[in-house]
Amino acid sequence: MGALGKPIILMVAMYVFLKFVLPYIPGSAPLPSSLIVLYLLLTAAGIVIFQTLSGESKDAFWGPMQRFLTGENIGGMQAIRYAVLILFPLLVGWQTYGSTAASDVPPSESRTIHPAPPGEYTGLSNPVQKTPENIMQGKGFYAAFCSPCHGANFDGKGPAARGFNPPPANFADPTTIAMLQESYLFWRIKKGGVGLPIEGAPWKSAMPRWEAELPDEWIWKIILGEYDGAHQSPRTWE
Amino acid sequence: MKPANLVMQRVLRGGSAAIAAMIIGGASLSFAQESVAVRAAIVTGGLPVDDPNAAAWSTAAPATFPMSPQVHWPNRIQEVTVQDVIVRAMHDGKQVVFLLEYRDPTQDPDDGAALEFMVGDKKAHFAHGQPMLQVEGGPVNIWFWKHKTDQAVDMTAKGFGTLKAQEHQDVKAKGAYANGTWKIVFTRNLSTDHPDEDVQITPGNFINVAFAVWDGRKDGAGELVEKGSQKAVSSWWYFRADAPPDYSGYMYAAIAVTLALGFQFVLIRKLKKGQ
Repeated sequence: MGALGKPIILMVAMYVFLKFVLPYIPGSAPLPSSLIVLYLLLTAAGIVIFQTLSGESKDAFWGPMQRFLTGENIGGMQAIRYAVLILFPLLVGWQTYGSTAASDVPPSESRTIHPAPPGEYTGLSNPVQKTPENIMQGKGFYAAFCSPCHGANFDGKGPAARGFNPPPANFADPTTIAMLQESYLFWRIKKGGVGLPIEGAPWKSAMPRWEAELPDEWIWKIILGEYDGAHQSPRTWE
Repeated sequence: MKPANLVMQRVLRGGSAAIAAMIIGGASLSFAQESVAVRAAIVTGGLPVDDPNAAAWSTAAPATFPMSPQVHWPNRIQEVTVQDVIVRAMHDGKQVVFLLEYRDPTQDPDDGAALEFMVGDKKAHFAHGQPMLQVEGGPVNIWFWKHKTDQAVDMTAKGFGTLKAQEHQDVKAKGAYANGTWKIVFTRNLSTDHPDEDVQITPGNFINVAFAVWDGRKDGAGELVEKGSQKAVSSWWYFRADAPPDYSGYMYAAIAVTLALGFQFVLIRKLKKGQ
C-alpha cells in the first residue's frame, strides 16, 4: 500500500474521530474547527517525524510525493497533479477571504442557566413542613403567580411565555429543579432575573423579583408545590 | 508496478487533496448562532421617511418577534392583543428608518408602540433598564409613538419610575392603520449629539433592541385594558445597520493565492533540482 497510504488513512481516521465520534462520547462536546485543525497538524507533524527517522523510510515517504509533483511520464496522475496545483492556491484564497470577511452573525451569547447562587442562599432547608395542606397551598400560589409563564403543567409553556428569551424554565425537565436544591430555588424566586450574576445574563430575564411582593413563607410553599406538581425531588447531598 | 497498486496509489493521492480541502474548508464552516436580528440595508435612492406604506418597504427583509404580556413587575397584565411584531429597517448612512407592523383588530386613540435600545456599553435590563443586583446596568433609550398625537417621544429610563421625555427630541414617527394592521415608521439620525441618553447606531455593529405595544381598546366599564406597564413586550433582540461594502477581503485572498502559487513554484523547482 506504500509509505504514503498509512499516513493518509491515519489522517482521515483522526479527522473522522475528532469531528464525528468525539462529540458523541458522553460528557464531550463538538470541537471548534480551529482545534481540529491544530490536532490534525500535530498528527501530521508526528507522522513526518516518524517517517523520516531512517533514510529508508524517508525515501519511501517522500519519494511518491516527489514523483507526484515533479516526475515525468506519470500518465493519469498528470491531470491530478495540475488539479492539486490549481486547487491548493484557490483553497488558501477562499480560506483567507472567509477569515477576513465581516461576520453576519449576531454576537453569540453564552448564558449559564444555573449560575452559582450567593453564599447566603446555599444549604438553606425549607422551613415549611411538607404536608399535603402546604403542598396544596403552594400549588395555589404557583397557579396565581408562576403558571402564567411556567405553565399549569410545570412545563414552561404558560400563555405568557411565548415572547420571552430565555424561555421560562421547564420544571418537568430533569435538568432543571431536579438538579437543584430547594435553597437554590428560594434564591431564584426571591431575587428573580435581576438577581442573576453576569454569566446568567440578568438583563434578558423576565423572572420577577418576588421578594418585593411575596413573603418568604409563600415562596417556600411554592417550592413544595413546584416539586410535587412537576413530579421531581430536590437534589440532596446524601 | 502492478495495476492494482497503481489504482490504489491514485486513490490515496486524490484522497490527500480531499483531506486538505476538508481541513481547510472545515475551518470556516463554524456553526451559526441561532439569533434573530433586524437588519437595515443601505439605501441610496432616499428613505421612506414618514411613509409606512411606501413601496420601498417591500425590499426590506422582515424580522418577526414574539410578544408576551408584561409580567415582570406590577402592574402586570396576563393577556395582550398583539402576539407578534414584524420589523423592517433601512438606512442611508445618515438616517435610519424602522417599520413596525402588527395585527390589531381595532383602531383606538390610545394605541401605542415603542422601540427600546440599550445606550452605551453597559447592559441594560429590558424592563426600562431597571437596576440589576450583581451587574451594573446602563440606561435605555425608548422611542414611543402614540396614535392620539401620531408623534414620537424620545425618552430615557434607568429603572422603574425614571422614564422621562428627553430635552432633545430626535425621533420622528408616523402611523397608518388599514385592514386590522398598524404600520408605524420611526426615523432618526444614526448618531446624535447626546450619547448619554440616545442610542448611537454605528453601521456594522449589532446593538440590542426590544419592542412594546399597547392596544388602546377599552373594557366594558370604559377602562383602558392595556396602559402603562400593562402592555405587550418582547425580549432583547439584535439590530444592525449594514456597513458600506468592504472589498478588502478580496485583496487579502488575492495576496494569499499569490503566496500559495509562489510556494508551489519554489517547492517544485527545489524538488526538480534535487533529483
